[in-house]
Amino acid sequence: MDFEDYKEPGQNVLMFLSKFRRIWWFIPALLIVIWLSTGIYTVGPGEVGVVRQFGKELTVTGPGLRYHIPWPVQHVTVVDIDTVRSTTVGYRFRRDGVTDTVPREALMLTGDENIIKVHLFVQYLVKDPSDFVFRVRDPEIVLHSAAEVALRGVVGSFPIDYTMTEGRAEVQELTRLRLQELLDDYRAGLLIREARILTADPPAQVEDAFHEVVRALEDRERLVEEAEGYREDVVPRARGEAAQILADAMGYRERRILEAQGDAARFLEIYKEYSVAPSVTRERMYLEVIEEVLGIHGAKLIVINPNIGGNVLPLIDLDRFSGLEEGGMR
Amino acid sequence: MKNKSFFLTIILVLLIVVGTQSLFTLDETETAIITQFGQFVRAIKEPGLHIKIPWIQALHTMDSRVLSADGAPAEFLTRDRKRVLVDYVTRWRVSDYHDFYRRVRVEPVAQARLDEIVGSRLRQEVAGHDFIDLIREDREDLMSRVAEEVRVLAEPLGIEVIDTRIKRTDLPDEVQDSVFARMQAERQRIAMRYRAEGAERGNAIRADADRQATIILAEAYERSESLRGEGDARATEIYAQAYGQDEGFFQFWRRLTTYSHILGEQTTLVMRSDSDLFRFLESSEAQ
Repeated sequence: MDFEDYKEPGQNVLMFLSKFRRIWWFIPALLIVIWLSTGIYTVGPGEVGVVRQFGKELTVTGPGLRYHIPWPVQHVTVVDIDTVRSTTVGYRFRRDGVTDTVPREALMLTGDENIIKVHLFVQYLVKDPSDFVFRVRDPEIVLHSAAEVALRGVVGSFPIDYTMTEGRAEVQELTRLRLQELLDDYRAGLLIREARILTADPPAQVEDAFHEVVRALEDRERLVEEAEGYREDVVPRARGEAAQILADAMGYRERRILEAQGDAARFLEIYKEYSVAPSVTRERMYLEVIEEVLGIHGAKLIVINPNIGGNVLPLIDLDRFSGLEEGGMR
Repeated sequence: MKNKSFFLTIILVLLIVVGTQSLFTLDETETAIITQFGQFVRAIKEPGLHIKIPWIQALHTMDSRVLSADGAPAEFLTRDRKRVLVDYVTRWRVSDYHDFYRRVRVEPVAQARLDEIVGSRLRQEVAGHDFIDLIREDREDLMSRVAEEVRVLAEPLGIEVIDTRIKRTDLPDEVQDSVFARMQAERQRIAMRYRAEGAERGNAIRADADRQATIILAEAYERSESLRGEGDARATEIYAQAYGQDEGFFQFWRRLTTYSHILGEQTTLVMRSDSDLFRFLESSEAQ
């Protein structure tokens, strides 16, 4: 009130006040603008914004430049729902791309009380952003331990050989289903895209023994192959020999028949000749043979006159005789 | 005017102070209770903006999400006297924060209590099962039974147990070594079986090959002998037909042929001088 009596300075004060008044309104206005601007947010492609109003879920917004009433009224959490995330059980990727086995996770018991080493690679994405944000604390840590639970449960229900060989796909699929079931129980809001078994091997401690089995399997095949080889060798040889025996026999048959026919033809020829003049031919043939035997073949002949005496024969030295006659006949 | 704005400012500040003390938000992920001088007044479960009497009433909040109680692995003894290391995890959340606040109050205590409850229940269950059942069929049943019992025991604590699961069933190191030894022995057995099977099949194939060869040769023998017989028979028939024309001449002719074949240099014939051959030897007159 005192100032207003003062004319000159009063003017100045009024001016100052009016200036001050303008600033007075400007500062809160600026603060309000800044406060309001904190409500601007962007939702990238493949993302959603989960908006809470006074802590209560209000809405889910899609990609674009968005606005919410600033804190403490509304609050937004942006969640990536498109990117496929992954986790590993039983091993970790090192920075240089090499994988390190984590024995505590990788080694597990099988249904036949053996121990197997399994590496599981899980791919997942956020299926329900609200559940992902609100229902479970640290959903991704929960996912990892649930993956272990599922994998060990499934591996524990099959024999080691089944998991290592033909059952691998089944174990994989059952693990995925089991894991999804667990996550749905917790309402973790996660969807398992794939649970892939990268390794299902015997542990290092018994690897050699397993390799030995593979070698034995190969030995088995080799022994069978060798025997097959023997068969390939023996049977055709026998067939060849059989063919030769048959050919020989056929040859024999033909030879016998042809010889018989030849002999018969010869006999019939002679017989034809003989029947023209039997007694003369008979005589001639007989004498020809005698000539042949005694003359050409060189048989010895002793002619004895029975009228002189039948006792001569024992006196003849047959050996000497045959010796004497050596040159005599020629 | 100045007083007016001064009062306005005071009122505004007061409003803000009272407001922050009486208004509060409860998040989607939380549950809360209001106490008045330590006395429970009411529970708030619905997220949103809520009100309480400033200063006189106090607000306590707790995470209402699913939480994990994942204690250290514990060693249990199975019915068949095997020691196993069981690592289990329990998922739970606060269902009744009033009970929870009274009996447990904070999360670490709850974790410890749950671990203890699950551990003791599990110990009993494991003791009633053989080792192999723990890793095989009974595992699920066993765990859901444990979860059921734990659920009942935890309920008065204001805790809802969602599930409790065996994460790992491991063997103590020395037992693990014996498992490896057994696995090795088993593999050796399988390897031996494979080799024996190889020998078995190989021998069978060889024996079969020999059998086939023998049969092939025997059949060939059978066929060849019958062919030979056929040849002999045909020959005999031909001979009989030809020689049968004149048996007397055949006998004569055949004998002559035989003489010419069998009589040679080593032969000495003794003949009578009055035989037919020499009938002209001593006289030109026919005798």
